[in-house]
Amino acid sequence: MNLLESTLALIVIPLIAGVGALFISNRWQRAQSALALMATLVSFFITIILFKHNFIYSIPWAGLGINFSIRLDHLSAFILLSTGFFALSLAIYCSVFLKDKNYARQFYSYLLLSLAMVNGAILANNLVLLLFFWEGLLLTLFGLISIGNPDAFKTATKAFIIIGISDLCLMIGIGLTGFIAGTLTMSAINLALDVPAGLAFILLVIGAIAKSGCMPFHSWIPDAALDAPLPFMAFFPAAVEKLLGIYFLTRICLQLFQMQAAGWAGITLMTVGAITIVLAVLMALIQKDYKKLLSYHAISQVGYMILGIGTGVPAGIVGGLFHMVNNALYKSCLFFTGGAVEKQAGSTNLEKLGGLGKAMPITFACFIVAAVSISGVPPFNGFFSKELIYDAALERGTIFYLAAILGSFFTAASFLKLGHAAFLGKNQTAAANGGNAVSEAPWPMLLPMLVIALLCIIFGIFNYLPIKHLIEPALGEKLLEGHSFAGFHANVLLVSMTVVVLLGALLNHWLGVRASGSGLKAVDHIHYAPGLKQIYAGAEKKYFDPYDIGLKLAHWVATAAFWADRAVDWFYDKFSVGAAVAFGQGIRRAHNGSYVTYLAWILVGALLMVTYLCW
Amino acid sequence: MSALLILVPIIGIIIINLPLGKFLQRLAPYFAATLFILQIGLSLVPSLPFWHTGTNLLEPFFMFSVWVDQLSFVMFLSIGLVELCSLLVGLHFLQDQPRFNFINLLLITFIGMNAMVLSADLFSLYIFLEVVAVASFILIAIKKDVLALEGAFKYFLLSAVASVMLLLSLALILLFAGSTAYPAVASALLGNSGNTLAKFAVGLFICGLLIKSGVVPFHAWVPDAYTAAPSYVSILLAGIITKIAGVYALIRLVISVFGFNPALQNSLMLLGLISIFVGALAAIPQTNFKRMLAYSSISQIGYIILGLGCGSPLAIAGAIFHFFNHATFKALLFTNAAAVEEQTGTSEMENLSGLGAKMPITGTTSVIALLSTAGIPPLSGFWSKFIIIWALWGAQQYFYAAAALLASLLTLAYFLNMQRKLFFGKLQNGLENIKEAKPLISFVAVLLAAIIIAVGLLFPLVLNRYILPANPTVIAVSNLTGISHTGELK
Repeated sequence: MNLLESTLALIVIPLIAGVGALFISNRWQRAQSALALMATLVSFFITIILFKHNFIYSIPWAGLGINFSIRLDHLSAFILLSTGFFALSLAIYCSVFLKDKNYARQFYSYLLLSLAMVNGAILANNLVLLLFFWEGLLLTLFGLISIGNPDAFKTATKAFIIIGISDLCLMIGIGLTGFIAGTLTMSAINLALDVPAGLAFILLVIGAIAKSGCMPFHSWIPDAALDAPLPFMAFFPAAVEKLLGIYFLTRICLQLFQMQAAGWAGITLMTVGAITIVLAVLMALIQKDYKKLLSYHAISQVGYMILGIGTGVPAGIVGGLFHMVNNALYKSCLFFTGGAVEKQAGSTNLEKLGGLGKAMPITFACFIVAAVSISGVPPFNGFFSKELIYDAALERGTIFYLAAILGSFFTAASFLKLGHAAFLGKNQTAAANGGNAVSEAPWPMLLPMLVIALLCIIFGIFNYLPIKHLIEPALGEKLLEGHSFAGFHANVLLVSMTVVVLLGALLNHWLGVRASGSGLKAVDHIHYAPGLKQIYAGAEKKYFDPYDIGLKLAHWVATAAFWADRAVDWFYDKFSVGAAVAFGQGIRRAHNGSYVTYLAWILVGALLMVTYLCW
Repeated sequence: MSALLILVPIIGIIIINLPLGKFLQRLAPYFAATLFILQIGLSLVPSLPFWHTGTNLLEPFFMFSVWVDQLSFVMFLSIGLVELCSLLVGLHFLQDQPRFNFINLLLITFIGMNAMVLSADLFSLYIFLEVVAVASFILIAIKKDVLALEGAFKYFLLSAVASVMLLLSLALILLFAGSTAYPAVASALLGNSGNTLAKFAVGLFICGLLIKSGVVPFHAWVPDAYTAAPSYVSILLAGIITKIAGVYALIRLVISVFGFNPALQNSLMLLGLISIFVGALAAIPQTNFKRMLAYSSISQIGYIILGLGCGSPLAIAGAIFHFFNHATFKALLFTNAAAVEEQTGTSEMENLSGLGAKMPITGTTSVIALLSTAGIPPLSGFWSKFIIIWALWGAQQYFYAAAALLASLLTLAYFLNMQRKLFFGKLQNGLENIKEAKPLISFVAVLLAAIIIAVGLLFPLVLNRYILPANPTVIAVSNLTGISHTGELK
């Protein structure tokens, strides 16, 4: 296979497999998972072959400058590789997890179709082609959420509307960009951020960060955590959407537009990122459900990436991309542990869990690795990417650094709470599992967890591997200005600050447990702190959910429109008919058959008319 | 030769009434039908030598000068058509002596109306108007029951008022014009344009004609007369008699003799609009099919008067077009009323429902007629109403145009109500045995429905060939149609 055929195979193979999966009955579960494994394995294999290759291919497609144009460069090859890896892990994991699930057929089909769409979107070198695959992903996203539990359809609709609105922005942005640039070919666009182009930039960024789950486009993710199938969470919000969204954000910031480090665009992105970090992690802190807690972290971590890229300095961009990979690793690992807990213990409600560490030691070990990685404990991978982002953020403004470090504190605190509540403490899970003792998860579920946990460690200790071979080539020599960001971080002050914050989180947890007597309630002193308590209560009731606010607004508008419509209906159906009938009855009654009356009408009429004519 | 339109029926009536036995009486329907069909055929071809030779045939004997122009052809056509329909429907209801009487009366109204159209003299016009009126009194009361007599009597009494007005006006006109011939009166009026007496005479004459037309508030006899008369007489009354005796005379005199002036136009348009609304609103709560049709006639005549009052050539063309269309669809609706009455014995809508299933032809043709009346394209009524409203808009009478448009909704309202009550829905108990109307009635209904559809579809042909030339004031419309024609005195 030559390069072109291999590249197209990345789209075509999952597409065919995805359509094929629809025709395999749920009774043939092995065939389903074998197909998914084969397709993802082949895709992953191809992404390895394609890695470090560069080429652009273009043929006319829909006219009007919309060409079927694909581009393979370091950046897209790197994202493709990551996507392929996570798809393969998920396929292995699902071969057990989806057993006896009635949605297995649809899940596999949508999963493979999503992979085709993601690969297509990453490869696309034409904005309209990108939009085509991007929107295809919206459909499979809807399908994947809606096959979950009975409430899932509502959540799927919510996700569809939120992403749909942001995709509309993207669509307008693409139109605007194409209009300003005079071409839709991405590799040929490089616009300065002046007035019209700035608007296009904002619209495209909205599309990109909404896809990656940034605030305020996040609110479907916590709902989906409870309603959608768990592997969906491990694959979509945790990994693929981040990869795709941040990939496109990188393209926008570095290639499509000339984003200056000191410009308004960077400040805006950093602000959005910082707010997302803090608010989402604060929400994560108080969650009492394993999956929902993780979902808020999936939102919070995007903040770091956007903050990193928004700084516009090399350290920040490298850190942002590195964090994207790291996050995909540990977050999918965490969701995998969540899935294992759900399958083995029968619940993800932290109030019903506890002491799982003994029964599921391998899962617990993977959880620990992933949790310390996400908390940024040295020398795990999350530490290094966060340090790069801290460094860049400090360079751009202390406030951004403080937000980031505050996010780290709460991240650590919430994972201490989660680990404590789920894996340590009193063993009460037998009750949740219907009286059966909890056992370790089966190997096909453990294997992806273990591999990913191992990668977390490798990417930490040997961080030059990903940075030198994956990220820095993707950004190019010019941008990096000859720097290299591999190795242990040199800024002792930042590192010691991180260590102090982590120790602070530990102390906070210890104090919390001592005060409340339980790991689950370790952060209650923050949850029920004066002032915060009311805000939390409001947030739990979704008062701050942009979707719900939008729904309420829409409801008011609809109600007003309804009453306006009633009024118009009343005017036509009741008033005008009533008036016509009333007039008619009046006229009818006036025709009483009396000759004198009739004669009087005639004479009065004639008198008036003749008088008027003679006037 | 156009005088033959009067002479032949007169001679015919004399012959069939000769005491020569039953044979001539049996011949009468064929004679009448042939006469009507001949008139339809002749009036369809205005270029025939028949119309252009020997125009002074009557003058030496009767001092009756003849006036034929394009407007006359539309009138002759309408007269022939409606008379024929009325005859065919009436033949089915009447036997023996009543049938013979009916045909005689029909022929007398025929003579009267033809003579009104032909006459070029106000007094002749009046005389033949009275001929028509007297014949119609008897026609209304032809069944000789109480209601019919009451309707006839009411019409008679209110017509008497009209006669008084017309006669008084004629006396005044004779006073200052010295003659009642159209050209003489027209020039005398032109010379005395500021004369209050002349204005008074004209106003009085117009009021008399408005009574005959049944325009609100001169309309009160219409519902009683139309309802009391048998349906086959109502066809004649609503379809042609009121319109020739009232509306045609009005159109002819206003255009050719009295001339337009702003006061006349304003009052005509106002009365037209009031008629449209009062007629339509009064039609809505009616429970009797025929009474509802009577109010509908008042409303539709309002459109004609509104178009006439607007005075622009296009509006008058629309009024003439609506004149013909109203003759066809109102004749059709009364034919349907005759069919319903024949089969069920009543025209009270409360006692009827679901007839459509049993009487498909009647139900379908009535839908066509009502849609045409309400002005739904592409039926004939749409075009005439459209032209009237368009002309009103073009003459900057925006209020009248909008109001006339809105009134179409009312038309649709009462007609759909009627259709729902009468033909749709579930069959009323006790009506299981009714059948479709007799072939002759159905034939008339289908014929009229076909004319409505054909005129609607072929409207450019009809408009250019008959309606626009018929308008004596058409000069400016030539750029619309490529045809220019002015009425001329023969």
